[in-house]
Amino acid sequence: MNLGFEYALPVLTDPYVIGLIVAGTLVGVIIGALPGLSSSMGVALLLPFSLYLEPIPAIALLSALYCAGTFGGSITAILINAPGAPPAVATAFDGYPMAMKGEAGRALGIAAVSSVSGGILSLLVLLFAAPLLARIAYSFGPPEYFALGVFALSMLASISGEAPLKNLIGGCFGLLIATVGIDLTTGVERFTFGVPELYEGIQFIPVLIGLFAVTELLSQAQELGRERIAVALSALKLPTLNDFRRVKNAILRSSGIGVFVGVLPAEGSTMAAMIGYNEAKRWSDQPEEFGKGTIEGVAGPEAANNAATGGAMVPTLALGIPGSATAAVILGGLQVQGLRPGPYLFEEQPGLLYGIFFAMLLANILFLFIGLLGAKVFARISLIPPTFLWPTVFALCFVGAYGLNQSIVDVWIMIIAGLVGFILKKNGFGPAPIIMGIVLGGLIETSLAQSMIIFDQQWSGFFSRPIAMAFFVLAVVSLTGSQFRSLFANLLSRRRKNT
Amino acid sequence: MKANNLRNFFIPALILSAIVCSLSSISVAQETYPSRPIDVVTHTSPGGGTDATARAVLRGARQALDANMSVLPRAGGGGVVAMAYVNNRPRDGHTVLAITPTHLFAIARGQGPLSIDDLVGVARATDDPIVVMVRSDSQLQTLEELIDSGREQPIKWGTTQIGGVDHVAGAILAQKAETQLSVVPFAGGGEIVTNLMGGSIDAAGLNLTEALDQLTRGDFRALAVMSEERIPVINDVPTTVELGYDVVFSTVRGYLVLEGTPEDRIDTLERGMMESMQQPEFQDYLQGSGLDASSIAGRVEWDNQVRRLYNDARAAMISLGIIQED
Repeated sequence: MNLGFEYALPVLTDPYVIGLIVAGTLVGVIIGALPGLSSSMGVALLLPFSLYLEPIPAIALLSALYCAGTFGGSITAILINAPGAPPAVATAFDGYPMAMKGEAGRALGIAAVSSVSGGILSLLVLLFAAPLLARIAYSFGPPEYFALGVFALSMLASISGEAPLKNLIGGCFGLLIATVGIDLTTGVERFTFGVPELYEGIQFIPVLIGLFAVTELLSQAQELGRERIAVALSALKLPTLNDFRRVKNAILRSSGIGVFVGVLPAEGSTMAAMIGYNEAKRWSDQPEEFGKGTIEGVAGPEAANNAATGGAMVPTLALGIPGSATAAVILGGLQVQGLRPGPYLFEEQPGLLYGIFFAMLLANILFLFIGLLGAKVFARISLIPPTFLWPTVFALCFVGAYGLNQSIVDVWIMIIAGLVGFILKKNGFGPAPIIMGIVLGGLIETSLAQSMIIFDQQWSGFFSRPIAMAFFVLAVVSLTGSQFRSLFANLLSRRRKNT
Repeated sequence: MKANNLRNFFIPALILSAIVCSLSSISVAQETYPSRPIDVVTHTSPGGGTDATARAVLRGARQALDANMSVLPRAGGGGVVAMAYVNNRPRDGHTVLAITPTHLFAIARGQGPLSIDDLVGVARATDDPIVVMVRSDSQLQTLEELIDSGREQPIKWGTTQIGGVDHVAGAILAQKAETQLSVVPFAGGGEIVTNLMGGSIDAAGLNLTEALDQLTRGDFRALAVMSEERIPVINDVPTTVELGYDVVFSTVRGYLVLEGTPEDRIDTLERGMMESMQQPEFQDYLQGSGLDASSIAGRVEWDNQVRRLYNDARAAMISLGIIQED
């Protein structure tokens, strides 16, 4: 059964298959936009239907849904500060402030273009370098993940630079939340208080909904009496060409980060987006604008999280090792079709790779249209009076938190996270450090414990891992970066004086 | 403008309600069985192997029984949440529990509301023995050599959960062979494969489904299968029993109802599931996972296996000191 390009082409130009991809994209954007409904759940629910299709259309449908779902999350993140999916967390940092300023359309437009650029770049990598790049996955053991985690945590210092002490407290609070559940390396229950739903730790999505949407709802409720500044119709304006020129570098940088982090099997789009956001800030001319609503703060994470979708497909297809939770479900979808992903897959069925490539490409182009044309429509949501908008969001929050595992415990977690988030916000703590603590806490702790077993409890073992050492150096540079930069600037100016 | 707003809220609302409805059951009182949708309760979020297998079984079973059947995820607590849920449902055959060794290990540890006597087997979907593997450039050619190497320096053994089936399997093998393991826990089979490839660990007990590619391509070498009989796909690999170690562990996925469910309804369920699993679509699914038709089994065989697995797990955990004998 040799399905080459010649075979894939007629299948993919079939209007029926194109229809499937369009449907997958639309469903993906909607599922992605709704908090609590994630693309992995969407793909899992579509899986039984895909069984009735031929392999290429089936996988095309699932992968279109996957990349559209990642994009969809940014819509609600920007409009109502409720990231529809975890990867869109970082998009809310600047996207929502933009919407508050009456620039919802501009933010949505930037998000769409950045997502598509990141997505398409990662697809090119997938098509041309998958087997080669997949090897990176093998050179990433626990010590490398620990070092990567430490590097990512070092961003705490820079992610919102106004109150370093508060960032540190927030980060530690996030790390504390990440300790709940059964510890992987010891099997000991921590802070579960006998609640079985907590054995596997506090679910990320309810915390996310609480910390963002519910907190925002409470703040809005406090300000209801106040006179509202009418948001002008400029909310519907799309970004200008000049805007795109400004975010070009952020998009390119974040796409590279996204592909790399996506390829690593244990890491997903959420971490890619966090690093993408932070690097956009670090390299920006106006880092002080971040968090107040700057387009670079939207472009950075959005390009990264969509690039991570293509990246995640690399080890999934080339090694049979899923690069993300959703990729794991797609892997299941391939197996249901009687196909074994892995090194043989491309040799036996090259058509499949083209199929996935074209489906994801088409999905990307489609949501560029949905994103740009829809931006004007979606942006109107930011014009709805809060008295109508927020009760609706509140209901949506409950559905989202409950829908994940149909667990009422998750709803309580959401409510508590919302209240805690509100109190913290009143006292000047931002959500970003807490989110980073939760995302990275488990990774850092587990990979350190694993590394120590592998190194026979000798710290010096890390010196034998060059990739890990490189990340440690990056972490040190990132912590002391600003000092280095001023030192460098001093030296330069002195030299200029001398000459 | 209003129409647009309306649409923006209506489409998501429609899709949401469709999903919610398909997951929850609507009760209709009738005499015949099945009189309302049958729920298969899983312990993982949608997307894992248990979920995919259940969906593949249900696809054909729906037609065979002419009934509405759906997967109901009740994640958390290593199966405890799912077992608690099933325990609170009427024992009328409309609630089926999907189990893996995880559940049996949880029961053996005394977690959750059920005991082994509450379980009645319906059918088994997959039986995936644990295979001891090393990297193919490793010096170790046989299980004996691996065991010997562990006597000098503990074998770095990759497992998933502490106290889970592959951990206990490795620990029992080490105990019987009088060798030492240094257990490195990972979050899943994929991570173990990557780390075995990358050289961070020496050996691991992996399911065939997890590492079939690496075996056929020659990246990994299988040293022993933890079963009584050899597996057809890797027929040249000896079993632990042949090599003189009575260590039999496999990752099974099957379906159970609770004690007290009417016999005829269990028979009906068994018939529906077995018919579904014998269809080519399910057989393709098995083959895609590196398994074959011997993976499926009916009530009697599966029920016996559940009891044997439970007893083995309990004995293993007692001898490892994880639980106390009472």
